[in-house]
Amino acid sequence: MSKVTFIEPAGNAVDVDVADGWSLMQAATSNGVDGMEAECSGSCACATCHCYVESHEELLPAPAENELAMLDNVAAERRSNSRLACQIKMSDALDGIVVRLPATQV
Amino acid sequence: MFSFDPYSPAVDADPFPFYKTLRDEHPCFWSPEAEMWVLSRYTDIVTALNDWQTYSSASGNLMTELPNRAGSTLGTSDPPRHDRLRALVQHAFLRRNLEALAEPMRAIAREAVAEIKDAKEFDFIGDFSSKFTVRVLFAALGLPLGDEQTVRDKAVLMVQSDPKTRAKGPEHIDAYNWMREYAAGVIAERRKNPQNDLISHFSMAEIDGDKLDEMEVLLTTTTLIMAGIESLGGFMSMFALNMADFPEARRQLAANPELIADAVEESLRFNTSAQRFRRRLQKDVTLHGQTMKAGDFVCLAYGSGNRDERQFANPDVYDITRKPKGHLGFGGGVHACLGSAIARIAIKIAFEEFFKAIPEFRRVEADLPWMPSSTFRSPLRLVLARP
Ligand code: HEM
Ligand code: FES
Repeated sequence: MSKVTFIEPAGNAVDVDVADGWSLMQAATSNGVDGMEAECSGSCACATCHCYVESHEELLPAPAENELAMLDNVAAERRSNSRLACQIKMSDALDGIVVRLPATQV
Repeated sequence: MFSFDPYSPAVDADPFPFYKTLRDEHPCFWSPEAEMWVLSRYTDIVTALNDWQTYSSASGNLMTELPNRAGSTLGTSDPPRHDRLRALVQHAFLRRNLEALAEPMRAIAREAVAEIKDAKEFDFIGDFSSKFTVRVLFAALGLPLGDEQTVRDKAVLMVQSDPKTRAKGPEHIDAYNWMREYAAGVIAERRKNPQNDLISHFSMAEIDGDKLDEMEVLLTTTTLIMAGIESLGGFMSMFALNMADFPEARRQLAANPELIADAVEESLRFNTSAQRFRRRLQKDVTLHGQTMKAGDFVCLAYGSGNRDERQFANPDVYDITRKPKGHLGFGGGVHACLGSAIARIAIKIAFEEFFKAIPEFRRVEADLPWMPSSTFRSPLRLVLARP
């Protein structure tokens, strides 16, 4: 288990414990975090699990080709720290990561 | 002694009491009848879906697999091959690329509703949803009109299994072979005469310069037709059943069609038609005190994870205000349903039109004829009557 802090669109910080190997998307949906849609259930096919990674960025593997292609489709502003939450798997190294959710996903 | 036999008519009719015992008492259960392990808790299923390296789809994902599909389709291959195959077709199924289909879908829905709107009693499946789904899929895939009814009948037959032999019977294999022939004909036609449609693009596509092999083109096309028609039709009949059984919810939707989308999500959770899929272990895994061996098959019971009270409060209550994010109705991870966006759009449009003409109805048969299938669950017939 490691900890993620989600910052919901309204600004609330929500701490969630996640099992290793679960994605940031699953951490959010299974805990009712606001601001996560995840319409395609994690198959990297909808871009509605967009998030801004605010810490630990240097520890994340770079986005794969399919994630980069799908990031072109995000609804909110795409920034340099934009990622798709379904493509980031939790591990001890990411314990304490802070992730901000955008105002809109669709 | 508790047993869980996905081939038994009792499980076809009502798997939920079995699932509860599985979750509470046997969360990692060996079913001798199915010859596989059964995972039934939400978190165990999600963990398996996240780990395709361990839980492989390459030996087939249907509980009772069809010949030669293993390794050659989206649902039956692993990354990286799977991802490249999926990248070729995915584009056509993105929500924003489906907007052009909304108006044709609505016209199809209106036409299908017109045929039943004056009937006192009708079979929702035979008289409405099968006509609607097959025409929508033909429009989406760019299939030539003419054989719709046969294509639909074969698609429904090929996902069934024989409850006695616990395998595909000759009629199911014949239906599958018919569908392959049909797909082969469409592919040949489109290669000769390319159109701007999914099958034309797909049948000419190359992956990294190496052309898709014939088997992949053929079986992926066959699977798209099967998955599209059978899954969409099966789920629509479950949604209609819920609307008949929960009149309060139905009246709210008929009065306020905006609510249809949330009711669809709750139905995908509550009693989805795609109940169970399988994976094959690539290494030993120990879970809840049991050791599952490399090479063993594992059933992921999505329909059970969706009723797990460890994840969903009051899971046996149908509640259209629930917004059950993270449900397993479309599976999850790399193999999550390719058709989820088109299915959501099509169902919403179909029921908007249906409720406009037929806001009040009840079901006629208390006991439904359930399809014999180890993977899917939906009735073969759903007779509805108007007041
Ligand atoms: C409401 C209707 C539908 C439901 C409930 C449904 C359900 C599912 C589920 C649960 C899976 C995961 C299978 C697994 O874990 O092995 C899946 C996969 C798939 N579905 Fe659907 N489906 C529906 C409609 C459609 C439609 C309309 C299409 C095609 C147009 C489609 C095409 C596919 C394909 C190709 C896969 C395999 C994806 C992959 O492995 O990458 N489905 N579906
Ligand atoms: S959940 Fe759809 S792209 Fe992440």
